[in-house]
Amino acid sequence: MTFLKLDNVSIDFPIYGARSKSLKTTLASAATGGRIGVNTEYTIVEALRDVTLDLRAGDRLGLVGHNGAGKSTLLQTLAGVYPPTRGTYRRRGTIASLINPLLGIELDASGYENILIRGLVLGIDRRTIRQTTPAIVEFSGLGEYLSMPVRTYSTGMMMRLAFSIVTSIRTDILLMDEWLSVGDEKFQQQAETRLQEIVSNVGILVLASHSRGLIERECNLVMELTHGVASSPPTRLFKGNL
Amino acid sequence: MSELKIQPPARFRMSDTASSMESAWDDWWAGTRNVDLWWTLAWYEIVLRYRRSLLGPLWITLSMGAMLLGMGPLYSALFNIPLNKFYPHLALGIIFWNFLSSSINDSCQVFISAGPFLKQGEFPRSTFVWKCIARQLIQLAHHVVLYVPVAIWAGITWSPRMLVFVPGLLIVLVNLHAIAITLGIMCARFRDVGQIVASTMQLLMFMTPVFWFPESLPGRARFVLYNPLAQLLDVMRVPLLGGFVAPGTWWFLGGLTCLTVAVAAILYTKKRAHIIYWL
Repeated sequence: MTFLKLDNVSIDFPIYGARSKSLKTTLASAATGGRIGVNTEYTIVEALRDVTLDLRAGDRLGLVGHNGAGKSTLLQTLAGVYPPTRGTYRRRGTIASLINPLLGIELDASGYENILIRGLVLGIDRRTIRQTTPAIVEFSGLGEYLSMPVRTYSTGMMMRLAFSIVTSIRTDILLMDEWLSVGDEKFQQQAETRLQEIVSNVGILVLASHSRGLIERECNLVMELTHGVASSPPTRLFKGNL
Repeated sequence: MSELKIQPPARFRMSDTASSMESAWDDWWAGTRNVDLWWTLAWYEIVLRYRRSLLGPLWITLSMGAMLLGMGPLYSALFNIPLNKFYPHLALGIIFWNFLSSSINDSCQVFISAGPFLKQGEFPRSTFVWKCIARQLIQLAHHVVLYVPVAIWAGITWSPRMLVFVPGLLIVLVNLHAIAITLGIMCARFRDVGQIVASTMQLLMFMTPVFWFPESLPGRARFVLYNPLAQLLDVMRVPLLGGFVAPGTWWFLGGLTCLTVAVAAILYTKKRAHIIYWL
């Protein structure tokens, strides 16, 4: 059974000043037995603090909060990017993230090669990639451009490619940072249909957004983050109580 | 806008689950067994380099060949060693030294250059270490071709003894892997380690019998050969020259391997989870 479980998870970012990132200053402080000035110290920014979440199949969680409240950090933590500095994170089920689909696109490689590379990076085996490639090619609508290096693509075309690859995989948990709008008008409708289809089939959806309308439309739970703290546990969303 | 929540300086710690020995092993193995991923990533890095230039990585092979042609006659005269004895020694010296030093220099960037991947999801950290090693191996396969004409010219013939090269290379790979984990983690945290490593490698090149013969060292100076790189170089070079690897070399490398692997294992266990916070 698919689930996501965060238990009092905190994420602290150590911020090193340019000088304390060097070995010399650390050695110097070790040799002298104390900190020299403020340079050897570093501050810790609390991005998330004691967040507890318990999501099961069928849950659609909307994350709201001001800029820098920790929504994206929470999504990245759920994606497995940041191991919690405190607390535990457990999950079952495959996870797909639409947080930043362009990350890791190889600019010098062709579209086809990017399908293979991205596929492997996403953890799919070569055979499955080969089988789904025609579907990805067709959906992206990039045609002969797929044999060209990605660096020749427009941003919209790159997005199309990345979106087509990431969304071609079946997944249990989907993470999204705002609703994606991809490409031109025609492709946008196509992408919208696919996104809707994925969102309705997926076990758990976590969607961070500033748009209340969107969250009301797609989610059945909502949690607000303020300065990295969940101001309330996820609350069930009924029409109009946001 | 938000106000920053800043704590007073304190030790940056990870939750304990992330740094247990068992999870480190699982993580390492998960990355290691996904050969298709790291090999493909390494392969494309080479292929893409080829694509925009006529010769690509072969440029390095070519310049290495030019270096051989120029240095061979000069140094054999300087050292007063017959060219057919000196040439194979020099060729393998340069080829394997290049492999060792570029692997070690590259290790510093292992995790830094993996940033775009590490920031999008959960990846075993060892994947990127293997990718680095795999790319260097592909490069080595380019360069080692240079040895063939040299060996034929010098009259070195095939003998089963040369097969010792295989376990030699394996031991080198284990060490390079461990060193890459160690340096990769250290460089992610302390960005100037890369500079230190680069200049140390340059110094070590002269301390290692890449160009000269270990036999020509006066007795007192033989301690120079206790430099690990000299031994790592020897275990690959000597078999291909048709010689015997000294038992002392095997013992030395056995000890060295235990040391590098132990350091790498400790760092991988304790600091693996920190890497992403440093990028």
